[in-house]
Amino acid sequence: MSHDSHHAPVACKTELAPERSDLGLIRPDRTTGLMDWLTTVDHKKIGILYGAFAMFYFLVGGVEALAIRTQLARPDNDFVTARMYNQLFTMHGTTMIFLGVMPLSAAFFNFLVPLQIGARDVAFPRLNAFSLWAFVFGAFVLNASWLFEFAHLAGWLNSFEWHKALVYTDFAPANGWFSYAPLAGTFGQNGQALRFTGVGTDFWIIGIQVLGIASLAASFNFICTIINMRAKGMTMMRLPVFTWMTLVTAILIILAFPAITVALIELMFDRTFGANFFNPSAGGQPVLWQHLFWIFGHPEVYILVLPAMGIVSEVLPTFSGKSLFGYPIIVFSGAVIGFLGFAVWSHHMFTTGLGPVPTAAFALLTMAIAVPTGVKIFNWLGTIWGGRVRFTPPMVLALGFIWMFMCGGFSGVMHSAAPADSQQQDSYFVIAHFHYVLLGGVLLGLMAGLYFWFPKIFGRMPNAPIAYIASGLVVLGFNLAFGPMHYLGLAGQPRRTHTYHAGNGWEQWNYVATIGAYILGIGVFIAFVNLVWTAFRGKKCSNDPWDGRTLEWSLPSPVPEYNFAQAPIVTTRDAFFEDKHGSKRIGFENDGGEAGVHMPSQSWMPILASAGFLFIGFGMPMMAMGVPHAGWLVIGGLGVLFLGICLWALEGPGGYMLKTPTVSGTPAPAETAAH
Amino acid sequence: MSSSHEAAPSPDFLAEEVRRYHHFIVLALWLAVVTGAEIVLIYLPIPTAAILTILTLMSAGKFFAVILWFMHLIYDKRLLFWCFFAGLALAFATYAALIMLFSVDRIDTRWFS
Amino acid sequence: MSDTAAAHEAPTSTGIEHKKLIMWLFLASDCMFFGTLISTHLLYRKLFPAGFTDAEGHQRFIQNLFSIELTSFSTFILLMSSFLMALAVSAMHKGQIKSFRRNVLGVIFFGLIFLGCQVYEFTHFYHQGLTIQNSVLGSTFYVLTGTHGTHVAIGVLWLILMYFYSFTGKLGGHVGALDVEVAGLYWHFVDIVWIIIFTAVYLVEYLGPNGIWGSGLPAAVK
Repeated sequence: MSHDSHHAPVACKTELAPERSDLGLIRPDRTTGLMDWLTTVDHKKIGILYGAFAMFYFLVGGVEALAIRTQLARPDNDFVTARMYNQLFTMHGTTMIFLGVMPLSAAFFNFLVPLQIGARDVAFPRLNAFSLWAFVFGAFVLNASWLFEFAHLAGWLNSFEWHKALVYTDFAPANGWFSYAPLAGTFGQNGQALRFTGVGTDFWIIGIQVLGIASLAASFNFICTIINMRAKGMTMMRLPVFTWMTLVTAILIILAFPAITVALIELMFDRTFGANFFNPSAGGQPVLWQHLFWIFGHPEVYILVLPAMGIVSEVLPTFSGKSLFGYPIIVFSGAVIGFLGFAVWSHHMFTTGLGPVPTAAFALLTMAIAVPTGVKIFNWLGTIWGGRVRFTPPMVLALGFIWMFMCGGFSGVMHSAAPADSQQQDSYFVIAHFHYVLLGGVLLGLMAGLYFWFPKIFGRMPNAPIAYIASGLVVLGFNLAFGPMHYLGLAGQPRRTHTYHAGNGWEQWNYVATIGAYILGIGVFIAFVNLVWTAFRGKKCSNDPWDGRTLEWSLPSPVPEYNFAQAPIVTTRDAFFEDKHGSKRIGFENDGGEAGVHMPSQSWMPILASAGFLFIGFGMPMMAMGVPHAGWLVIGGLGVLFLGICLWALEGPGGYMLKTPTVSGTPAPAETAAH
Repeated sequence: MSSSHEAAPSPDFLAEEVRRYHHFIVLALWLAVVTGAEIVLIYLPIPTAAILTILTLMSAGKFFAVILWFMHLIYDKRLLFWCFFAGLALAFATYAALIMLFSVDRIDTRWFS
Repeated sequence: MSDTAAAHEAPTSTGIEHKKLIMWLFLASDCMFFGTLISTHLLYRKLFPAGFTDAEGHQRFIQNLFSIELTSFSTFILLMSSFLMALAVSAMHKGQIKSFRRNVLGVIFFGLIFLGCQVYEFTHFYHQGLTIQNSVLGSTFYVLTGTHGTHVAIGVLWLILMYFYSFTGKLGGHVGALDVEVAGLYWHFVDIVWIIIFTAVYLVEYLGPNGIWGSGLPAAVK
């Protein structure tokens, strides 16, 4: 019963007879509604779930940002306390990076990569679902710290003994998104493990750890998929650039996240078991935390930006009517950016006294990394040049990316000069730089992707005028918010301080920046609300409303469960465009039809196993709080995780056969490939 | 059940497996010998730099022997070797950079002035 | 195509099975993981060559603590377990399930001996005065070797489950051989990490009068 499917091919999965897995439990293949979404292994549904959660957390991070900006609008403001302010900027950064941008990129990876390579799913569908649910639970654990914080502020926790015994009562993390030691660590001799912060740091540690596992699992899956599941004729150099950037991003993730995993383990041991990794009293070196964090942290920012660059590399050719200029060079520079990204981490540490030789080395390498980035920009310009440009919403956003990301790049190159950086470090200039690359770059790129691929995902077209207005507000708002911060930083305003006194000359531009932030928030909100509305009630559109170039546009919108009715055979890059307008046709394999195609079975095990993270995620901070018996929660969580994985392995992959319509006009037996 | 439909392994395949079986035994013996040599080496009265070099070479030898033969990499497609080697090279480069960055020696002020 | 073509039996673009490729990717990632942990230990050894201070305030040197006999023994045990694992994989490829079971049982047994040696070593060091809390050396040593030990324990657990699974009759054929080979890859990796740890953490402490880091150090307290 293990790998066979005893079902005849069915036209729809609800027609399947109930089948038992190797464990004797009925497989949830026939479910619909909520159970379908909870047990799905379909990469498209998983992508939609990632996207939905990401958009929600973007808004959460946005609210945190608006609270920050409201506090800073006026000097000596008391909209929030200093402690709340620290928690806000920490959670804003952590949420936006790990719960906003990375999952939204993951949404695109999940939905598009199998379609773009001509596959029916990813290499390990249940592992894909596990990554999603691990992310969901990790995100919940991280934000649950806010729930504890609000409960504390409301006084609901006052009657508990462990609460009365707490030295520090900050429940939400407040150390900045990179949580530097020794503030996050311990001090004291011989296991005293005295801390400077409350359990917020422990929530942060375990939250990021779980999110890391989710990202790692997904990345292993995607590398395997891209390398191993390409359609016939889809050589590596015929892959869409978005898929290439996904591959590079996934490689960066699997090589960079171990560094933060180790750093978090060491910090956790310091705080929980009295180790001395970062404890100055025993000889620990707090600067080691900075090194380990940034060995992860710098590749992380390329993990954030490369998918957006991949999206732009798809949007520009489509709306210029020309193929991407210098495809091999764009792919190669993406790989070089990824590789060099590991060699520059100490540029975040120029002011820590590294010494002249390391400082110079890292400064030079950082300047070097601007070169492949610049190469990409020139290639994008070369793509647009001489094309018949259509200024659709995705195109407008992609053009905005080029310009705004370049601005962010310029301030970045200014940082790379270590002497200049010694003034800019920890000032608002840095905030200006990374928000330009993250908002002007990544956000605009991701929004371009949303408007570009929404018609494919839901079969409905977002309203163009609203899209233009929202995009305009976003661009206007973020320039108004972060442009002045270049000046503010050089005028001396330090970052991560909850207020400032009047008389430094900062008041006017802080006020302007706050107005800009609200405009930005309104723009993003309008865009997201419109997109969600479109998913349910938008105007229906055709399969290929943009005259697309890559394989996903050849499919119906929304895409059927089996993706390709018959597996495609390609002979060139931009195979679909060539099929429509050129001379090279897409061929089809002799599969599908009445014999059906193999679909992976759905499963409860991924969500069951990752539920273990929920228990671990609450158990560890509760141990730190001193809640009695909280350690059992951690052990229970590990047990659930282990049990879930065992059942997952034992239930067998299953699978069923789904009938597909044959592509009309396909000659009967043989493959039409051949090149 | 699928496994019962599997064909029996071909004779060539079996012959290859038997060859590899003998390689494994020889390799296991060599690993034991090299490990023993390492333990003897550290007690020899030769310059520390020489010992360290030889020790590194021996360990690297054992390392790659296990990877290439026990883990089959020499018999597999080259992509797998490069996948692993990328991670290994990066790890080594990171280690080297970290050691050089922490080049300030003797900060143990309790025992050195 | 027959309906027995589950994902892992479908042809792949490279000819490499999915499970094998993903395990090698995981091992590449694990290299970075152990690399950072080992780097932490080594750079702290470089900064603090003199070892650790015990509860009475005496300066202790690490090579007086280490027992080269015990560590060498556990190294041999792990190497031999790796050898048995290779034999187990080979047996599975040939379809000899009884031989596979014997070899896997050997790997499990040796793995448990290794873990037992580690536990003994940890308790011995603890009683000698090295704790995770009283020094940086204790922290790095216990976390590094403990993490490796955890990897070994996970491997032993995996192999125990695989041993029992082999009695259900479902472990066989090409798929079964692949699953065993993937478990073997993990086990061998754990072994090669130990090869590095043995050299970089244990052996180098025995070089020169006070280890490779020290000359001019004051006399050690045994």
